[in-house]
Amino acid sequence: MSAIAAGSGGGEGINPVASVIGIVLILVTLAITYIAAPVAIAALVGVIVGGLLIGFGVHFVPVGGAPAAMGQSPGIATGVAMLAAGAGLAGLFGGAWAAANPAFDFAVVIAAGAVGGGLMMAITCLMVNVIYIFGMGIPAASGKVAKDPITGDTQEAYKSQGTEGHGLPFISYVGGVIGGLLGGAGGTLIYYELLQVYAAALPTVFSADAAEVLPIAVSLAGIFAIGMFLVNAVLAAYNITGTIEGPHDPKFKRFPRAIIGCATASAVCGLFAILIVVV
Amino acid sequence: MESVLFGIGVTALAGALATIAGAAEDTESNIGSQGDPNSQVQLAPQMGYIHRIYNKAVSGEPPAYGLWVTISAGVAWAFMATGMNPVLALVIASALAIFVQGVYATTAYLGRTASLAKFEQPVYIDVLRSVTTVTMAHAFVAVFPAVAMCYLLIAALGHPFPLALLGIVWGIALGAAGSATGNPFYGKERQYQSQKFGAGVPISASGNIVRYAEAGQRSSLDNGWFTAKLAGPASGVCFGLIVFLEIWRTVLFEEVASGWGAIIAGVVIILIFMIIDRYIEVWARKNYGPYQAEATEEVSA
Repeated sequence: MSAIAAGSGGGEGINPVASVIGIVLILVTLAITYIAAPVAIAALVGVIVGGLLIGFGVHFVPVGGAPAAMGQSPGIATGVAMLAAGAGLAGLFGGAWAAANPAFDFAVVIAAGAVGGGLMMAITCLMVNVIYIFGMGIPAASGKVAKDPITGDTQEAYKSQGTEGHGLPFISYVGGVIGGLLGGAGGTLIYYELLQVYAAALPTVFSADAAEVLPIAVSLAGIFAIGMFLVNAVLAAYNITGTIEGPHDPKFKRFPRAIIGCATASAVCGLFAILIVVV
Repeated sequence: MESVLFGIGVTALAGALATIAGAAEDTESNIGSQGDPNSQVQLAPQMGYIHRIYNKAVSGEPPAYGLWVTISAGVAWAFMATGMNPVLALVIASALAIFVQGVYATTAYLGRTASLAKFEQPVYIDVLRSVTTVTMAHAFVAVFPAVAMCYLLIAALGHPFPLALLGIVWGIALGAAGSATGNPFYGKERQYQSQKFGAGVPISASGNIVRYAEAGQRSSLDNGWFTAKLAGPASGVCFGLIVFLEIWRTVLFEEVASGWGAIIAGVVIILIFMIIDRYIEVWARKNYGPYQAEATEEVSA
């Protein structure tokens, strides 16, 4: 069975029992944090919001997997988690750089991360279309909608026989950039919140100056941000199951359950990330 | 002013290193058949097409390159901590990381090909011998500039992340950019040259990859020769632009409007790329026109 034919076994609805368990887990992590380290409660909320931003953002990224590499389906020819992680980490690079400058406030740091991720996706999406159009002689065509929701271009006539479409239609391009923006912002938000916790707690843990432990705080926050990025990207990829064209794809409607899943996973991961310095 | 000029020089050098890394990364993954089109290489024997193409795709390119660049970055950091010259440390660390890549390539090829034994796909020892060393050489050309770039970002531009952490970030981004850009050209244009030009490969043709070169049977070395002409450089330009523009806008505009300057510059660049993309999309539609079915199916090789 090809990746195109492979369907999702989970359907599109939200599983109420699983969702309630997820929300209870989030509340439990918040309660534990409130008891163990009340000052870190805002940081945990930030981590949860960052995680759900990543999970939501992954659904925008147009990914065609192996079929896209043969021009059998639209999207970028790589895996969902891989591409979303690449874009988000490029955003984290910019966000961490901005966070190192004490003159910049919270909004600048998050925006720097978002734009870094969006820029990575904008360049990658353009080069993908360049290869399709000038390397393979194939125009972009979507298999999921009759008309591009942004430009109004008709799709059916440009689709090669026996394929689900190919290339990156403009809506997919815009979706990719939005996905990069959300992923970069989410990853940077996780990094920033954890950095605040570590920078405040580590001098006491090591009985050292704040300046001395700052490199350790940066490294720890960076490692946890990257780890949580991969956790959320992979979780969202399971929701997508293979390929997605972007916000116009019917699979996009599944995002609410991914958001609950990602928020829950981020809450648990965030709790451990905070507890290692406060307990 | 001098610091800005210095920053721009470092930015240009980092962009150039990233371009080399991207180009070599895609060529390496095409020779080793590690990108997404590898599913066709794996599928071909099941459809009755025995081939001599290398196949080492146990994981995707991004995590694999994340691993190799991070190993190199970590070892280089350890060498530098002992007082070794940074350039020497980066070279030796990259070479050591490539031995890990070589072991990975060997076991992956043997394992994946052996799993196709029931479809009578043999393990070609000469393919193993000739391709593994070539893919290792290309991996070195990809990993060394990537790690050198990471070192430059820390030593010259003062990025707060330690070397190994930047290795993870840019290793995964390198794999993602190369995998996204170069793979379609290898997958469609190289593996399915028997299909007519200017159209996607029909799903019914999956697994029917081209197995013969100009003289004799095709091996993965032919794939490297072919894709190095377009897919590799395109991947290089993609990764080079990502690194260059990301650093350029920060170095030049970070001090403008208390940090918002770099963000506004980033948004403007994104919009410019969006306009270029729309232009080439319309250009393709006008020049290629709607899909035209051929009267007769071409016979595949």
